[in-house]
Amino acid sequence: MGISDEEETIMAQLTRRTLLTTGSLAAAGALAGPWVRRAHAQGAPLKVGLVLPYTGVYAVLGESITQGMELVFARENWTVAGRKIEMIKEDDEMKPPVGIRKTEKLIDSDRVDILTGPVHSGILMGMRDKVHGSKTILIVSNAGADAISRDRCSKWIFRTSFSNWQPNQPMGGWVAKNVAKDVFITAPNYQAGKDQLDAFKETFVPAGGKIVGEDYPKLGETDYAPYLTKIRQSGAKAVYAFFSGTDAVNFVKQFDQFGLKATVKLTGAGFLTEPDVLPAQGKSALGVITGHFYTPLLDNPTNQRFVKDFREKFAGKMPDGFACQGYDTAEVILRALKAVNGNTQDKDKLVDVIAKVEFDSPRGRFRFDPKTHNVIQPFIYIREVKETPLGLNNVPIDKVADVRDPGTGCTLPA
Amino acid sequence: MSFPAEIFAQALNGLSYGVLLFLLSVGLTLIFGMLDVVNLAHGSLYMLGAYAGLTIIAFAGSFWLALLVAPLAVGLIGMLIERSCLRPLYRRGALDQVLLTFGLIYLFEDLVKWIWGGRIRSIPPPELFSGSVTIWQATVPSYRLFVIAFGLVMAVLLWLVIERTRLGAIIRAGVFDAEMTAGMGIDIDRVFTMVFGFGAALAGLSGVIAGPIQSAQPPMGATILVPALIVVVVGGLGSLKGSLAGSLIIGQAETFGKAWLPSASMLMIYVVMAAVVVLRPQGLFGRPLR
Amino acid sequence: MAGAALLAAVTAFPLFAGNYPVKLLQEILIWGIFAMSLDLLMGYAGMVSFGHSAFFGVGGYVAALLLAKSPGLFTGLVVPAAASALVALVIGLFSTRVSGVYFIMLTLAFSQMFYAITFQASWLGAEDGIVGVPRPSPLGLDLGPPMRFHLYLVILVALAALALARVVRSPFGHVLRGIHDNEGRMEAVGYAVARYKLIAFVVAGTIAGLSGALYVQLVGSITPDAFLWTTSGEALLMVIIGGTGTLGGAVLGAAAFILLQSLVSSYTERWMLILGLTFILFVLFAPGGIVGALRGRVGLRA
Repeated sequence: MGISDEEETIMAQLTRRTLLTTGSLAAAGALAGPWVRRAHAQGAPLKVGLVLPYTGVYAVLGESITQGMELVFARENWTVAGRKIEMIKEDDEMKPPVGIRKTEKLIDSDRVDILTGPVHSGILMGMRDKVHGSKTILIVSNAGADAISRDRCSKWIFRTSFSNWQPNQPMGGWVAKNVAKDVFITAPNYQAGKDQLDAFKETFVPAGGKIVGEDYPKLGETDYAPYLTKIRQSGAKAVYAFFSGTDAVNFVKQFDQFGLKATVKLTGAGFLTEPDVLPAQGKSALGVITGHFYTPLLDNPTNQRFVKDFREKFAGKMPDGFACQGYDTAEVILRALKAVNGNTQDKDKLVDVIAKVEFDSPRGRFRFDPKTHNVIQPFIYIREVKETPLGLNNVPIDKVADVRDPGTGCTLPA
Repeated sequence: MSFPAEIFAQALNGLSYGVLLFLLSVGLTLIFGMLDVVNLAHGSLYMLGAYAGLTIIAFAGSFWLALLVAPLAVGLIGMLIERSCLRPLYRRGALDQVLLTFGLIYLFEDLVKWIWGGRIRSIPPPELFSGSVTIWQATVPSYRLFVIAFGLVMAVLLWLVIERTRLGAIIRAGVFDAEMTAGMGIDIDRVFTMVFGFGAALAGLSGVIAGPIQSAQPPMGATILVPALIVVVVGGLGSLKGSLAGSLIIGQAETFGKAWLPSASMLMIYVVMAAVVVLRPQGLFGRPLR
Repeated sequence: MAGAALLAAVTAFPLFAGNYPVKLLQEILIWGIFAMSLDLLMGYAGMVSFGHSAFFGVGGYVAALLLAKSPGLFTGLVVPAAASALVALVIGLFSTRVSGVYFIMLTLAFSQMFYAITFQASWLGAEDGIVGVPRPSPLGLDLGPPMRFHLYLVILVALAALALARVVRSPFGHVLRGIHDNEGRMEAVGYAVARYKLIAFVVAGTIAGLSGALYVQLVGSITPDAFLWTTSGEALLMVIIGGTGTLGGAVLGAAAFILLQSLVSSYTERWMLILGLTFILFVLFAPGGIVGALRGRVGLRA
């Protein structure tokens, strides 16, 4: 016979009630959703993406930068403004196709709140448009391509490291006044190398300096003998060189082996004698004078604490400029996030806040140039490699204050 | 410096560079010529030699001990590789060997990084040769003069071994016709293993010798490979004479290129090789193409 | 059948996957075509080239330079492919005269020369290459929307793959395989072996140039690294892993390589060790590549 009319009505009522309840709950949920979600986002982890080389010739830089960041985040117990800090590291292998791919992953798939890196300027230039177009905040923690602070600047991109111009420009005048006026300049044969030397020339020539020779060995050269012979021939009293990594080791070692140090003073951009190459250079680096925004021997209290904490955390390893870059990047992130109470949804506000961040960094008073979003180097230190109780180190012997990139062609906000 | 003195100075530079190239490539040409094996891991074996040398110097303090022991260690590793991975592939042809040895490049780079760390390392020159010497206005590190002497002595020794000993005769026979040599009752498998080990040892040796001049880093295995291959091709596969001639010529071409045509220094070695392959494909002293 | 289903899945992928997986797939398709064109040379004509990246780079750079001026199909595809064909003709004229390790080294030398030239040429962006390349607008259509670009890419890749398949199955393809098997015999029978090799070289180079142009359109930039011998090496690995002489295997190899490289490195710093071991184990135990393994050719003695 089926169900009676009575039963049917009860069932109908139950069904209707269930539908209504479910419906109202759903509607309420939909209306309340945005609020609930936002409150949730406050507790959601802060995702910081790192596009750095962890394999290949510059892996040591990637490691140093990461360690600088880890030091700061660990100090804050990996929390800021009630949110847990999640660091997502991606190896770009110093290859642009891989770097771009990893950037896409971090932005599209991991949805990082803040992106940092890279080491390779080519990767930086390649990711620039994606970052700008997707309005992702990028804090450049190494790559020095001048263009990022000039014609390809973006309101979403900040740089805590340096522009290639910064360590070199003050050195020109200093070398002309304090070392020699007849100088042979050399750098690897690529645009970044030439840019660095151009910056040097900017203040070298007006200070009365004379370039008696100029040579651009290929990147990755292992035998500098022919160039060293030419240097001797030129009669230069000093050499200004930009080399980094294995090039710096090979050049400085061979410069010494050829007995040139007796008659020619070797100077250069800081990367020539940074801690990543100094141990391999050994005594050959003694007396080499370079310009850099950092040396672990700086005597300000922030740096002394930085060096002590870093060595404690990383088995006695001495921090270098790259670790300082990582440290500053993490500090910028922390301070900006605290200032907006952890709200990363309002990106425009976050960008404004980042631009205004100011704090005591191991390198001095840290602040961004609002015109270019590039760091204003509180000082470029002129350092000489000497034996210290801590081994071979870059000892500061002089400094130039307030070095800011000219930022030609940059019109922010862009 | 007068012009002739300048030429002399650069020629001396070219000579030391060329000898280094010779030491780097001679092991590869033997392996190529004898075993017909595309050993892309040659650069990795060079790297292992440099790192083994580093470790021995760190423990025993003696460059000369490192020069003796490191090549032996690398030679052993080479023999192990040959027995375990390469032997199954002889029948399979060049492509599989490419993939295998490519895999070895990746493997060794990461292993070295794991064991020794990724920092740049350097081998100090031996006390005896750590100064510089001036010959006719050219100041040269005495170590480079040692390298030149060492390399030329090695060349003579190798020539003696290959041309004047029974082992050398077997190797030459194997290079010419492996099947026939086996047919004559010689344990060709064992000879192959030994030759590969020998080639590996030579690669390791060049890693130690080049150590004081160049620096060591895990990715160096892949970087050093191309110059080695180029010298082998220019000199002629399997030819000791060719390896020496090719490396000396390339050494001078590269050095004078850097001195006089600096913007071409990236291209120079490839242009030289391309010219040789197009004009004389078997290389300077290789066998006419089989 | 399986092929059509796969094509449908690939085409519809953006509908149910996020941006990053789609980008990975698109890169796999592009590198897959690049590797496939290399397979034509290696697997069918028996010419192992370590200079294939030269054409990828030429196609990429020409597309990058022209698209900045006028974004269209002609500038984005036709001219880059034609440029690569021309370069392949010149390099081929020299290279096809030699074989074996000499062919390998000569092709390597040419691509390294391109690397050196682009690396030092400031008008080509020097070491940072060319960035900010716009996508072409075929017939006025804007390729910005992801699904539209995806369709465009899939169509072109499919066409290129079909073209290669036709070449391989044609009488020309048979002659190539004959040359691979026994060059002497083919000469004796009367075939102009050198000319066949050259044509194969140019066809392969043209498709490689096309893949380079597509890469620039996908990513918006190109650097001299595209010319490196290691780029050719990676394509070589893709062909071998997928299965030499199978054409389709090249795409599988590209997928395996890119996925291994991208995914493994996201999880561990020891990814190079894993990759190296994978190659070695592959060679020893899966000699026919992925395709071979699928067909049952597995084991040490296979």
